[in-house]
Amino acid sequence: MSTPARTRLRRSSKVMRMWDWSVPPTSAHREVLSIVPEGWIDEPRATRKPPILFVHGLAHGAWCWREHWMPAAAERGFPVYAVSLRGHGDSGGRKRLGRTLLRHYVHDVMQTITELPQKPVLVGHSMGALIAQLVADRYQPQGLALLTPAPIQGAAYELPRLIRKRPLDALKVVAGGTLPLRSEQLFTGLDDVTAARYVDRLGRESPWAQYELLLPHRIGPVRCPVLVVGTPDDRVVDEKAVEVTAATYGVDPVWLPGIGHDLMLDAGWEKALSVVLDWIDERC
Amino acid sequence: MTAEPMTSEPVTAEPAGVIDRGGAWAVVGSGPHGLSALKNLLELGLDADGFERDTDLGGNWNFHAENSRVYESTHLISTKPFTQFPDFPMPDAYPDYPSHWQVHRYFRSYAEHFGLFDHLTFNSEVVDVAPVEGDRWNVTVRDRGSDVTTTRQYAGVVIANGHNWWPKIPQYPGQDTFTGEIRHSAQYKSADVVRGKRVLVVGAGNTGCDVAVESAQNAKETYHSTRRGYYYNPKYALGRPSDQTADLLLALRLPLGLRRVMFKSVLRLTVGDFEKFGLRKPDHEFFETHPIVNQQLVYYVGHGDIQPKPDIARFDGSTVHFEDGTSAEIDVVVFCTGYLAHFPFLDDSYLNPDGDHPVLARQIFTPVTPTLTVSGLIQPDSGQWTIAHWQGMLIATYAALRAQDPVAAQRFYDHMVSETGVRFTGGAEYKDSTRHYYEIAHQEYLRAIERDLQRLESMAPVGAR
Repeated sequence: MSTPARTRLRRSSKVMRMWDWSVPPTSAHREVLSIVPEGWIDEPRATRKPPILFVHGLAHGAWCWREHWMPAAAERGFPVYAVSLRGHGDSGGRKRLGRTLLRHYVHDVMQTITELPQKPVLVGHSMGALIAQLVADRYQPQGLALLTPAPIQGAAYELPRLIRKRPLDALKVVAGGTLPLRSEQLFTGLDDVTAARYVDRLGRESPWAQYELLLPHRIGPVRCPVLVVGTPDDRVVDEKAVEVTAATYGVDPVWLPGIGHDLMLDAGWEKALSVVLDWIDERC
Repeated sequence: MTAEPMTSEPVTAEPAGVIDRGGAWAVVGSGPHGLSALKNLLELGLDADGFERDTDLGGNWNFHAENSRVYESTHLISTKPFTQFPDFPMPDAYPDYPSHWQVHRYFRSYAEHFGLFDHLTFNSEVVDVAPVEGDRWNVTVRDRGSDVTTTRQYAGVVIANGHNWWPKIPQYPGQDTFTGEIRHSAQYKSADVVRGKRVLVVGAGNTGCDVAVESAQNAKETYHSTRRGYYYNPKYALGRPSDQTADLLLALRLPLGLRRVMFKSVLRLTVGDFEKFGLRKPDHEFFETHPIVNQQLVYYVGHGDIQPKPDIARFDGSTVHFEDGTSAEIDVVVFCTGYLAHFPFLDDSYLNPDGDHPVLARQIFTPVTPTLTVSGLIQPDSGQWTIAHWQGMLIATYAALRAQDPVAAQRFYDHMVSETGVRFTGGAEYKDSTRHYYEIAHQEYLRAIERDLQRLESMAPVGAR
């Protein structure tokens, strides 16, 4: 870990969480999908494989992991879980989405974690990667895998480009609408029918959470192993976001060319998954 | 429940040899502070052993344990957000003020989640903690089943045996001649002991108020004797849990004087004027005594089911005389007069050299020796286990630094010692009473702990785990 990275890791206060104490997050029904080996809940330490908890990104839901990654990871012997953040997937809280902040999502993930009999490896995608980092700021997971992470330095720097290239989308986000994600942004090698099916399943996002994504976040120090995965063919999160996130934790990003932003759904998802699982086997 | 007493004569004293546990730390007690210290030591890569004299974890919250002081109706008096461990929140399904049963389940799931059961030894009473060369400690543990004692040597010790289990029993004139029953709240587990009786509850701590209310619901007559008038805070005021409102005012950085005015006006609005209920006017300012959180006491006073009384003057047969000249016939006296810190396994010279009560730095470090630490010797004006977590984290970070860089750790320790006796009162002046020996203003105290953690982290070798 290099010295500049440590300096950047310093944040204002990880101890004094005044707003969580005085205005605690409300609770919401949580959809938690799982594939768990038989008997594991009672004897969690009998297997050497730590559980994996997947956290989805903006407008997605736990379903995006259920499609390919969960069964494939379970096949390799991992107990796997995926949570739908409130207002997403089949979780509750849709009506309150307009009042939902990132800290509510953090609460949802923490609640899911405390139901596990053992510390999980957190695997977060895009906005879910940022949430996973905010979780790791208060809780030490077995490992932290960040896939095409939303920029930890704040996405504000991307705004000019967004305004230039897709002015209507930019206007929509500023007005509180959900950032439109189209199949050509999320996927590179999927057939149109499948891609359209996935895009159809995308839901709405909280405007406040989207605004918070524009702001810089300070995390740390994180004491668990960290993996950062990016792809040069990502048309949602640019390479700079991946590099800055990786540098924050003093690691080199793993690049997976040829796969799009949604690397758990796009063609080539097997390769991306094996990068994550091999890393867990080796490091966590 | 596997421990069966052995029939052979007990093996005592002189163990065959001391087991050297190398760089490991010992943790005495498995209440919330013991668990948090154990978990944080392990999480920072140190080895640690936890010892618990009962057959289950939880300390005070393990209802059936010999030294548990919770009673059947015990609920938290602070709400989840500040009371829970920050890295292991209580389930959403729990209410604002969980019961002691739920709290115990919560501690068990914490221990399981973080793999603490592999590092906890139950039914094992720590009988001696003694220093050895090089700031190391010999910890002697007696297996309560077999009576076999084992001594292990550790790099350091965390004492987390609690300070709410050793009863403080007052003495009044004529007390020995009292014909009724006298018991301390330590022996109060349910309302069975007061049912149908004429009851005097002594003391207006949170236990005293709980017992008075329970007595009002079950006894024939209930008298409540207190030394002074107090502020009886409601659990909910204006639709919000009061501790969350208190934290909101602190988050807004309102000064003490303004917070006092606001709290007193909310009390007046929601509870009313205590004097009109026949309670005495508080003789002190808000925040000068440990907060009492009890919404029901004033209600039962208003119904005549609790009769407020001043301090006891003397006992006489079955009669108790009070300082205002009144008297009452009493069957059962319940002394809810609190507890004293007690470390039966440790020589007083380490934590309590002046023999009155431990005066420490941050309520954690003793000026006498650098590797003996205490966790949980605090009485915060809010929830406790957020603080338990950060105390455990501070001790673990310090222990990790000692293992890597003893010179830097010594520098930190010397700095800590220079702050021995510094209190964190949030600007208030606490009333002089054994009850306030360990009183802290929770946010001010945590800020100090955070500064200490930053100091420690800046001393740690770069990239160290």
